[in-house]
Amino acid sequence: MMSRVGVRSLIKPLRISSRAIQTIPQPPGYIVGTVNDAYVPPKPHKTHGSYHWVTEKVIAVGLVPLVVTPFVTGVSTPVLDSLLAGSLLIHCYAGFQSCIIDYIPLRVYGKFHHYAMYLLGLGTAFAGYGIYQIEKKEKDGLVGIIKRLWKA
Amino acid sequence: MLTHTVLRAGTKRTCSTLSVVRGLATVSQNQPRLKSFKVYRWSPDTPEIKPHMQEYKIDLNECGPMVLDALLKIKNEQDATLTFRRSCREGICGSCAMNIGGRNTLACLCKIDQNESTELKIYPLPHMFVVRDLVPDLTHFYKQYKSIQPFLQRDSVPSDGKENLQSIEDRKKLDGLYECILCACCSTSCPSYWWNQQEYLGPAVLMQAYRWLIDSRDQASVARKEMLQNSMSLYRCHTIMNCARTCPKGLNPGKAIAEIKKQLAFD
Repeated sequence: MMSRVGVRSLIKPLRISSRAIQTIPQPPGYIVGTVNDAYVPPKPHKTHGSYHWVTEKVIAVGLVPLVVTPFVTGVSTPVLDSLLAGSLLIHCYAGFQSCIIDYIPLRVYGKFHHYAMYLLGLGTAFAGYGIYQIEKKEKDGLVGIIKRLWKA
Repeated sequence: MLTHTVLRAGTKRTCSTLSVVRGLATVSQNQPRLKSFKVYRWSPDTPEIKPHMQEYKIDLNECGPMVLDALLKIKNEQDATLTFRRSCREGICGSCAMNIGGRNTLACLCKIDQNESTELKIYPLPHMFVVRDLVPDLTHFYKQYKSIQPFLQRDSVPSDGKENLQSIEDRKKLDGLYECILCACCSTSCPSYWWNQQEYLGPAVLMQAYRWLIDSRDQASVARKEMLQNSMSLYRCHTIMNCARTCPKGLNPGKAIAEIKKQLAFD
């Protein structure tokens, strides 16, 4: 305990930006309740648990043939291309979501966790619209763009 | 009379030459092989002094082979204030878990590098609150272990009214899981546990969760699985696999966590 007080008083003058982002103070030693109480996990929620994980993995595995097929055969149908672009978007969304949960946790950052999630959602929506435009206008869609970049 | 003296003188001479030779040999053997050990020091009694590394020189000729022997030697002979946990000195209690030369391991199972030109750095388990010197605060770790209810739970009594029987195959499933001594080496080597140890259970505790999940005698697996159905408790594992690399008992908590994820996926 005492050390933490000491360390905090040392760090304080160095933290100028800390006022912009207020973090939530954590209990000493991360101990909630008494030392003999068991840790209480967050409420069970399958969409945050196994469903989320399964979706993530199915899309990650599904991306392999979707990427390899146009790469090897050199042909791509609009449906396959849209599927590839869409899966890639969801895959990226899940990856960044994981980063936010890891590094901007709700427990410490409170509303800033939500802001980060909103920002990610917004970015994903923009990217989704971009994909729609690409699939509609570009020749051969996403694969076509990559093909032209490859040769350029 | 004369011969006797001569003989005696002769014996004396042989003795003295022998002792000289032996003496030289012993001197070369007893040349102190000083190796420097740098140990993390911090005491709550002197909070104004920042944590620092204190250097101790140890003669490897006079020291046992393990790092724990060196630490005990320092405590006995050089600095009685050096604080660390130890108990069984044979890797079965898990008390002396610490970060030795950059790797979480048990001091009693970690051999001292006999090259005395290199120094050995010893830190407490990383990313834990330090109680003093090499003693980390494991309270939260134990609270997490308690939360998975590591005991047999049954709704029905055994059919013979005496004991819960288990087939040899079912017992074999527990091999590689039950050996865990909860030294916390794996959990404190996991970056995910470093960032989110308040909510993520960590490899050690999750491996025990799996040990109770697959125990054929246990009947509480529904509740056990439900407890892990959130984004933090289990799914902060990103298969970094530091846990399996560092385990001083050679277990594989990463695999156990993967098995839990598989079970939950088909739940």
